[in-house]
Amino acid sequence: MRNLLNEKILEEANTWIKSKEKVVLATVIQTWGSSPLQTGSKMIINEKGNFSGSVSGGCVETSVIKESINLIKSKKNFKKLEFEVSNENAWNIGLACGGKIQIFIEQIN
Amino acid sequence: MKIELLEEIIKKRSLKKEFALLTNLETSYSEIFEIGEPLSKEFENNKNEIINHCKLKKNGIIEKTQIFIQNYTNPINVVVIGAVHITQYLVEFAKNLNFEITIIDPRSYFTSENRFKDIKIINDWPSEAFKKIVTNSNTALVALTHDPKIDDPSLQYALKNKFFYIGALGSKKTHINRCERLRELGFAEKEISSIHSPIGIKLGGKSASEIALSIISQLVSESNKS
Repeated sequence: MRNLLNEKILEEANTWIKSKEKVVLATVIQTWGSSPLQTGSKMIINEKGNFSGSVSGGCVETSVIKESINLIKSKKNFKKLEFEVSNENAWNIGLACGGKIQIFIEQIN
Repeated sequence: MKIELLEEIIKKRSLKKEFALLTNLETSYSEIFEIGEPLSKEFENNKNEIINHCKLKKNGIIEKTQIFIQNYTNPINVVVIGAVHITQYLVEFAKNLNFEITIIDPRSYFTSENRFKDIKIINDWPSEAFKKIVTNSNTALVALTHDPKIDDPSLQYALKNKFFYIGALGSKKTHINRCERLRELGFAEKEISSIHSPIGIKLGGKSASEIALSIISQLVSESNKS
């Protein structure tokens, strides 16, 4: 239901693109257990690592930013990311709440 | 996603069009879909599931496929009767929520543009004002004037048109009298008891901003039930 916030993010993405920035759009495509944000939540990231919006309660954003910068550098168009608490990197990027989420990152170009 | 598609989404939403965005997660190809419109070959085989998700406004990966669907829908319309102090705070809170506010107030001192920027205000009596807006079972009514001349016709309109939420400001005594007037007009007990009054969830606050917070909280709670 929280569409308005996602729409604001898309408008912001358009503004970034207009000022010649490279933009990656990250969208929560699936969740299991007690993940913090609902399916469809969005975040945008530019090549400098600036971001707006969110895909979790702050738990995996850092990692999504790194992946997005790599995506821009690699010239690939998209990638599917998955995070869960049992991940061996749990101390770094895991979801403290015990959920699991899948995030789709794609370049807008 | 193509820049052209992003621009089209933004344009359609600015025109209040409702649609779904389909994305093939294996190729990142996306397209806009509206019920009744044709699908490209990419998604044609899953037409029935896609339409079902649209009807239920369900977002997610369609089972046994790599298709992600996200619905873009209009926010909930909240008609506020009374351009009062509480309404000024309601407008502020609503900005970051999924609500779109329309204000009705026949008193021109209250509806001055300085008090409400970028908000749809109808400076007319409710019976006339409701002719100028589209309402449905996804509309909410918040009656705040506690003047029966203005609030009562609005409540009657909202009850007849089955708004999903109806709330009215006023003390318990004011509300008892209000219910009595609605009873005399032939409204059923079930309809009358559906009115939230005293309006808002219990926060214990008395200031305009605190009352606005309690009203907006109730609206969020009720809209998440449906």
